[in-house]
Amino acid sequence: MNTSITLPRRHNKLWDKIKRQKALILMSVPFVVHIIIFKYVPIWGWLMAFQNYWPGKGLFQQTWVGFENFRLLFKDVVFYQVLRNTLAMSIIKLVMGTVASIALALAINEVRAVKFKKTAQTISYLPHFISWVVAANLVRDALSTDGGIINQVLMSLRIIKEPIMFLGIPKMFWWIIGISHVWKEVGWGAIIYLAAIAGIDPALYEAAVIDGAGRLKQMWYITLPSIRPTISILLIMNMGYLMSSGFEQQYLLQNGRVIDYARVFAIYELDYGIKMMRYSFATAVGIFKSVVSLILVFAANQIAKRWGQEGLM
Amino acid sequence: MKNRVLFVVTLLLIIVTASGTMFAQNLKELTVFTGEPLPEYPGSTIVGDIIRAETGIKLNREALVGDLETRVGLMIASGDYPDMVVAAHFTSLLKDAGALRPLNELIEEHAPNLKRLYANHWEMLQQEDGNVYWLPIQAIPYGPDKSRYPSLAFFINKKVLKDAGWPIVKTFDEYFQLIENYVAKYPTINGQSTIGYLTLFDDWRSFATTNVPQHLMGYPNEGEYVPVLEQGRYVVKQYHTSNTAKQYYQKLNEMYNKGIVDKETFVMNYDQYIEKLSSGRVLGTFNQFWQVEEAQNYLLRDDPDSILVPLPIVIDTLVEEYQLDIPYVQPTQGMGITTSCKDPVAAIKYLDYLIKEDTQRLIQWGIEGEHYLVDEDGLYYRTPEQTALFRDPDWVQNVFGRQYFHNAFPSLRGVDENGNMFFPDTQPHLIYSGSHDAEKEVVDAYGVQTFTELFNEPIFKKYFPLWTITMPAGSAAHIEETRMKDVLNGYVPRLVMSKPAEFEGIWANYVRDISPLMKEQMKVYQEGIDWRMENW
Repeated sequence: MNTSITLPRRHNKLWDKIKRQKALILMSVPFVVHIIIFKYVPIWGWLMAFQNYWPGKGLFQQTWVGFENFRLLFKDVVFYQVLRNTLAMSIIKLVMGTVASIALALAINEVRAVKFKKTAQTISYLPHFISWVVAANLVRDALSTDGGIINQVLMSLRIIKEPIMFLGIPKMFWWIIGISHVWKEVGWGAIIYLAAIAGIDPALYEAAVIDGAGRLKQMWYITLPSIRPTISILLIMNMGYLMSSGFEQQYLLQNGRVIDYARVFAIYELDYGIKMMRYSFATAVGIFKSVVSLILVFAANQIAKRWGQEGLM
Repeated sequence: MKNRVLFVVTLLLIIVTASGTMFAQNLKELTVFTGEPLPEYPGSTIVGDIIRAETGIKLNREALVGDLETRVGLMIASGDYPDMVVAAHFTSLLKDAGALRPLNELIEEHAPNLKRLYANHWEMLQQEDGNVYWLPIQAIPYGPDKSRYPSLAFFINKKVLKDAGWPIVKTFDEYFQLIENYVAKYPTINGQSTIGYLTLFDDWRSFATTNVPQHLMGYPNEGEYVPVLEQGRYVVKQYHTSNTAKQYYQKLNEMYNKGIVDKETFVMNYDQYIEKLSSGRVLGTFNQFWQVEEAQNYLLRDDPDSILVPLPIVIDTLVEEYQLDIPYVQPTQGMGITTSCKDPVAAIKYLDYLIKEDTQRLIQWGIEGEHYLVDEDGLYYRTPEQTALFRDPDWVQNVFGRQYFHNAFPSLRGVDENGNMFFPDTQPHLIYSGSHDAEKEVVDAYGVQTFTELFNEPIFKKYFPLWTITMPAGSAAHIEETRMKDVLNGYVPRLVMSKPAEFEGIWANYVRDISPLMKEQMKVYQEGIDWRMENW
């Protein structure tokens, strides 16, 4: 009698849990299916990296070349240039973008005039909705030596005598990418921090005010620590994108003069891979990127955990 | 209530479409993919309706959206082809994937017009296996035509020539001297600073800067290398490190440091280039005409005194100029019929109908009496009203419908069988009379009828041009080509923008870096040229 009761009960426990969370599970199924179809199934395509793939033939009728494509990749001097540029621009964008977004979120949060607050927020996130094709032309025009606004302002302030050709200076390209990224994405990035700030218990602020904390102290001791988990999770997630520092932005702002500093992985894959029908080579580059990204995400996760933060995994 | 209305509307729609298909049932349908963007076919156009009635075929078109490379790749990967396909420079890829049918027998049996009109080009269309898999989109059956503009040139602002009293300009130095003088005299135009010289360097369009040495040496557009006749054989030579190239970049360097070459010429993109040219304050630029045509149209409309005038400029007086294109067809791409096509006979018959002279005349000139007239000598002409109608691009595309049967489909150009031109724009007696007043002023001053007459007649070369030979995708030569272009892209701005004292040093490094990156390509080109000389 006893045994016959315990078994079904154990079974029922899991079943009950599933039943209770039925709605949640149902809701997540489409996403799991989506991930499997679009993120896991295509991994079969990685086989291409070990072949000399030619379109029109099946995956298994191709010639196999082993690690030849990887050998070509690591032998290529351009590859190391690309790696340097990608990492440099990613890190610049990540650091500048994060700092600017948090600063903007803090500032907007402190503004009491509702109308101004809403307007400032709208203006700051509007550029996010322009495509880079348009935005790049705006940036080009602003930086132009032929009546561009930046040069005009600097010249009328007597900071410079001659217009500077910003887009023609190789060393400056990374920073132009960083700054234009901040201009375009700062408002959008601030939204998530604003949401986190909105969730902070007002009682904390009241207590701080009673203890005599001013605006700055409140920011430092209450707002920032409260959004620390959000910041660290976003940072960990962004680590995964370090190896892909974007494409359109660099592609549209680059020119021959700065190409040595502008070429990132996506452009490399395009110029030296897909445009030449070297699909296998492009795949090998993709695999290298994925593997490094995976390592970066795990490393960041471990570091965050060690610092006493919540990790993702 | 709302639902019922919706239901009725849907029902009506179903009935209408159903009856529509039933009505159209006697029409045969063919699908075609054209590798260029074109809006949806309007459903009915003057040209299209006649073609549909005479062939009994309804075309279902897919125009290019986005990237051609991706679209063709997808087609090949899925094996899902339309009946007919035009894939521009990816045509041979479709053939390699086994997607194209050999056309020889089809043409032999069902297409007398195609056979007759492509006869001149037949040898160059045969692939290694002796079969023909595609038809180039233009054939020249009776002889070439002339156009108002050369395909490439050093352009100069009309104001400069007028101000200097219409001088004859031949050499690169004279050309820049004229520009320098004008800049000194008029440092600003319409309140903005005068731009002496502009050179385009945007992405793949940078050939507008790097191809120039060959033209200064008097060659037409061959591409990255020039075949030079040596003891009866065309030998492929490179010009990127030639003396002419050095003189060219050194001159640009000198002019850059004098402020004649625009400061931001190497960082501007194509849009900015067109914008500057259209402003009328640019005095000189080199380019292929199609790249500046848009700006020229703006200038003709808004600032006729600043139109771009093409000049035959060479490096020095010892060089003979032959920059005009030798008329050629593009044998490496065209329209093919795919293996998915269920009725290849219908497809080839359709193309055969399109190519014949009468259809071509309909597409280009229109209906006699309505869109053009014939004078007593049998020459076609248009009244000013008819000309105005054909100058309206919207009308030509949407009402007349030319684009839908011309750009991607096999067509004829040059002289037709009775001495008229297939393209109305090139009708000899109309080239001058159809010119804009601003253009007439210049050609009158130089005593010619058209700008192309300022140039020497081209010399016939059987293989022409070299650039239609392509590097096998992904081959060593192909990779080398990309690396060479990288070197060019990296060095050319430095050559021009450095201090004059640094030029020699940078030039030496440039020669060192680019020289090893040409061997494989030259091998491929040499083989291609030899093959063409033997087989065409």
